[in-house]
Amino acid sequence: MKTIDAKAKDLQTVNRAVRAAVNGEPVIVKHAAHLHGLAAGLKLGQVEVAGDAGDYLGVLNAGAVIHVNHDAGRYAADNMTAGTVVIDGDAGYGAGQYCYGGTVVVRGDAGDFTATMNKGALILVAGDVGDEAGTYMLKGDLVVLGNAGQNFANYLIRGTVYLGGTWQSLGHNTRQEPLTEADLAKLRGYFEQYGLQADPAQFKKIVAASAKPFYN
Amino acid sequence: MAVVGAFCVSVNREACLNAQMPGKCATCAEVCPHGVYVLDLATGQMHIQNYNACVGCRICSEFCPADAIRVNPAESEYLSRYPWTLAAVEEVHAKAQTGEYLLRGFGTQGPTPNFDMITVVPSQIASAAPRDKYREECDLEVVIGADTCERPLRLKLPFVWAAMSFGALSLEAKQALAIGAAMTGIATNTGEGGLVPAEAWLARGFADEARTRKQWDPGGYLIIQWSTGRWGVSVDYVNAGDAVEVKIGQGAKPGMGGHLLGSKVTEDVARVRGVPVGSDALSPCRYYDVQTLDDMRHMVAFLRDVTDYQLPILFKLGPSRPYADVAACIEAGADAISIDGLVGGTGCSPDIVTQGVGIPTIACIPPAVQALKDYGVHRKVKLIALGGIRSGLDAFKALALGADAVGFGSAAEIALGCRACYACHKGNCPYGITSQKPELRARLDPVEGGRRLANFIHASAEEVKILTMLSGHRAIAELTTEDLRAMDLNTAALTGLKLAGYERPLPIWEALTPRPAAEPRGANGNGLKRARPKARRVVRGKVPA
Ligand SMILES: Cc1cc2nc3c(=O)[nH]c(=O)nc-3n(C[C@H](O)[C@H](O)[C@H](O)COP(=O)(O)O)c2cc1C
Ligand code: SF4
Ligand code: SF4
Repeated sequence: MKTIDAKAKDLQTVNRAVRAAVNGEPVIVKHAAHLHGLAAGLKLGQVEVAGDAGDYLGVLNAGAVIHVNHDAGRYAADNMTAGTVVIDGDAGYGAGQYCYGGTVVVRGDAGDFTATMNKGALILVAGDVGDEAGTYMLKGDLVVLGNAGQNFANYLIRGTVYLGGTWQSLGHNTRQEPLTEADLAKLRGYFEQYGLQADPAQFKKIVAASAKPFYN
Repeated sequence: MAVVGAFCVSVNREACLNAQMPGKCATCAEVCPHGVYVLDLATGQMHIQNYNACVGCRICSEFCPADAIRVNPAESEYLSRYPWTLAAVEEVHAKAQTGEYLLRGFGTQGPTPNFDMITVVPSQIASAAPRDKYREECDLEVVIGADTCERPLRLKLPFVWAAMSFGALSLEAKQALAIGAAMTGIATNTGEGGLVPAEAWLARGFADEARTRKQWDPGGYLIIQWSTGRWGVSVDYVNAGDAVEVKIGQGAKPGMGGHLLGSKVTEDVARVRGVPVGSDALSPCRYYDVQTLDDMRHMVAFLRDVTDYQLPILFKLGPSRPYADVAACIEAGADAISIDGLVGGTGCSPDIVTQGVGIPTIACIPPAVQALKDYGVHRKVKLIALGGIRSGLDAFKALALGADAVGFGSAAEIALGCRACYACHKGNCPYGITSQKPELRARLDPVEGGRRLANFIHASAEEVKILTMLSGHRAIAELTTEDLRAMDLNTAALTGLKLAGYERPLPIWEALTPRPAAEPRGANGNGLKRARPKARRVVRGKVPA
């Protein structure tokens, strides 16, 4: 495994080294918390971030597997289209925004506006999420094992939101629906795959009340 | 305010086919975007049922096979009935009936401060001699990102097509713009609706995806728009063009995001945008993934990174606080900044926003230029003026005010045949420009459209050349405000130009240099905090830390 020490290096230098390295074996990047946009736009490879990551980790990820063994800053996995981003600790504001595909797993808590404008990704948070999580989601799944803040799933358009705990308030254009067998199997599959302890049957399922809430 | 009741529609029943043979022709009812005519299905007779709604576009007259329709301006409501003009009355009625506010396509109506009260100052004996348009050269080229990226954008002429998205525009219109850009060496822009794949090769002048056949010289460029809705955005999208434009806002709806109503979200549009068919694609008003100016800097840094430091990064602003906003873009690392004025066009917007929000283009350019000068980057970080540019004359005035290039939005639609009916949002454009309906799109041939657009650009470029040379310059980069005079007090007050006859700027302008910095804004949203102006140091291939 190749190791890149990012200490005192700039984004261009580190990302160029990561791009050169991921073509072969997995690459470890350490001391990278000051870099915003680490491992941007990768199409393949495996990146292990040792310690904390800065903002915009894995932005525009298009196929790489990126793992952070501590916390990630804001906007983790921003605008991802494919691949996986796993954060062992907490994620700041706006994890998994604007994603078209791929998977984001946050094993700790995630901040406000998590999964905003999700357009097709799976976003899985083992802890709690802040306010406005799942705002204007158009496709994909948001699964939160803990609790949610205010305006949860606000203006949901399509896609499904599952919550294990409770919300402070539910957003506009949302409707609760009973879990189907397919939902249970799907959640069970997610939990098994990422080693999460939760009972799918205890989850609330939220879908859009209207497919077109803005203009008739 | 909608322009209703401002036109008289009359049908010459001697000539009208329907009047002679009821049921034979219903063309006017089919093409009128505002339901002015109705076909009585029982009798087959055409009636004018809703003359108040006419906006004077004359589409009906153009399509009428018998040349039977005349549309004339009505007596000015503003003289006799203001403020309760028929337009104002009808607007209240419409809201009272539906409970809904109005939407509008195309752009602003009615008079707003514009380029017309600015005149060009020619050279005579006391200033540099005029240059000969017919026998001497004039440099119209504009280069964006010369010092900051590996592949600067070299516009052959000081023009771009404004960002207009697929979805707002038809596929054929997008293709025509790309071909028009290729024929003239200018840039087209994806807009915020994702990439129509053919744009990428048509804009460079190739007729085929493999790029084996160069069909249109000299070849143009494609600007990739990155916006708050991030429709159809991926790493491949960002790398598909020659520059990336970060959209902050636009003139027709500053402070709001793009609007595409569900009726125009067909399967093709939905696929490119990655949204459900039939859903309204309403971009957020701000970036959810930017909260501070530092975030914006980081966004520019990762955009440079994913494009391998090859491409210029542009910003696009709506007309708000031009000095402070341009300063913020410079600090965020822009290679060029577009600023769109009040009358800037749109595919769809709330009526009151398009009509009543924002600063006129002529009042945006001087503060924007001042910000560039205060940072020591005027003519390095390029300024592109948008909003109400109709000709080479308007373009020249914008350039002499200090812009480096101008963009055409509405004028491009008109070059494709549009007659300014303000109904683009409804999706029934009779010319196939802003419709997604196959039968209407079939009326627009992309190659013929591209040729019309290229003709318009060539003519406008010649106009800019004439004006540049008659005012004694060899290059558009030499133009200054000394080449212009305001012809009334308002225009002098808005622009800081010398007032014709008085030959000085108004005293309020003389007192105002240097311009005050804008008040600091909150750290939240995109009203970003700014540091004190300082010249930007740029290292080739690297973003300043
Ligand atoms: C049909 C249409 C679609 C537009 N779509 C976008 C867009 O996707 N992104 C954007 O930044 N501006 C968009 N605009 C605004 C133009 O880019 C531009 O700012 C404006 O048209 C310039 O003013 P003008 O129309 O007076 O030339 C659109 C305008 C029109 C007419
Ligand atoms: S087509 Fe245009 S000009 Fe003719 S009636 Fe309708 S709005 Fe008026
Ligand atoms: S583009 Fe079409 S719909 Fe829009 S204003 Fe022009 S003619 Fe009307």
